[in-house]
Amino acid sequence: MIELKNLSKAFGTLEVLQDVSLEVAKGDVVAILGPSGSGKTTLLRCMNFLETAEKGTLKFDDEVYELAHMKKKEMAAIRKKTAFVFQNYNLFLNKTALQNVMEGLVIGRKIPKKEAEKTAKQALDKVGLSDRYDYYPSQLSGGQQQRVAIARAIATDPEIIYFDEPTSALDPELTGEVLAVMQTLAEEGRTMLVVTHEMGFARNVSNRIIFMENGEITEQNNTRDFFENPKNERTRAFINKITN
Amino acid sequence: MSERLLGIVIDSFPKILLPGLKMTIPLTVIAFAIAMVIATVTALVQFAKIAVLKDIARFYIWIIRGTPLLVQLFVVFYGLPGIGLVVDPFPAAILVFSVNEGAYCAETIRAALEAVPVGQMEAGLCSGLSYLQIIRRIVLPQAMRTAFPPLSNSLISMVKDTSLAANITVTEMFMVTQRIVARTYEPLALYIEVGLIYLLFSTVLTKLQRIGEKRLNVYQKQQGV
Repeated sequence: MIELKNLSKAFGTLEVLQDVSLEVAKGDVVAILGPSGSGKTTLLRCMNFLETAEKGTLKFDDEVYELAHMKKKEMAAIRKKTAFVFQNYNLFLNKTALQNVMEGLVIGRKIPKKEAEKTAKQALDKVGLSDRYDYYPSQLSGGQQQRVAIARAIATDPEIIYFDEPTSALDPELTGEVLAVMQTLAEEGRTMLVVTHEMGFARNVSNRIIFMENGEITEQNNTRDFFENPKNERTRAFINKITN
Repeated sequence: MSERLLGIVIDSFPKILLPGLKMTIPLTVIAFAIAMVIATVTALVQFAKIAVLKDIARFYIWIIRGTPLLVQLFVVFYGLPGIGLVVDPFPAAILVFSVNEGAYCAETIRAALEAVPVGQMEAGLCSGLSYLQIIRRIVLPQAMRTAFPPLSNSLISMVKDTSLAANITVTEMFMVTQRIVARTYEPLALYIEVGLIYLLFSTVLTKLQRIGEKRLNVYQKQQGV
């Protein structure tokens, strides 16, 4: 479904990503692991054009795009087929939970208001927030805000959802409630690309792991082999460290 | 206070208040409304970094903020007729006050736009909204909330600045007071009186600001969850 090839990105003289290639198939739940500063977030942001890559191509729905020369129209078209969940939620602060979910439907996709409201409510119900429709982000806990953000993502029925460290701003209890929602989505067959530090989630929910270090992918493997039989030496050291 | 003085003060009150209601307030309201439009557009072209337009915006702000309001009034009212452009006092005052205020408020709004977290824009793009839709529906409303108190400040300031319009023959409160003083020779009491009327107007605006802030605060109110 998505094929990223030879993506490179630098901030000034700092090479953040070098020749990164990956594939995501429909229904895949791919976890991107790796130490801080390894380029995981930048990779995700490049894939949704929040950062402009210097080099590389993105194949999306059988169309190949040059990442360095995306047209505004192309970006908008692809973004409408994807969704992005941010580390710090980024809910629209001047809109209620329901309005946050409806915005992309009514304004972004021109879906009639009534229909959009129904869809949005279903999405919020799904993440367990049926009693919080009219709350503003400032009135919600971090975990609730992130669940609204997930509802906002699934309401548009995207082909893939990008998660950028969705739980790293949350305490363990709130992390649990967000991960539970994500697990449900995974079980429903949603395609997800998740940057995370949650090893439990990576191990139990994702079917593939991408391990990154210093702007490069050092190992791509299915989840079981990644944890039990890693190919790469550095990955082995990493697994040892987290399991001991 | 002598009986004569008291009589003058009481007598003058409606005479000063009336031009206040008929001139000062309309002048302020109309000029400020136009100023808001100018300021928003000027702030937005800078925020969006639109080529040429943003340079024009900077130039406009530089000129207006760098020259006295009184000089601007004189240039328009006494200066322009020299090149055949005669403007009536009231429209001249509207023009100068709105263009002047627009420059200051543009900076207020620009700062407020820049204070909106960049994540709001990114979330909007990822939700499938266009740049303009995000500006109109997400960024600008939040910026206006931030800008509201300093803009109220500017409005209150402007109410008092309208007294300068007396210099270009607009018969607003201050000019009327000057005339009464010329006739009665009671400058102290009368200038204090007109000052109090300005204070009254400002107080009403301050109250309105409170109410406005409360209404805008709706999405920032913390509630128990």
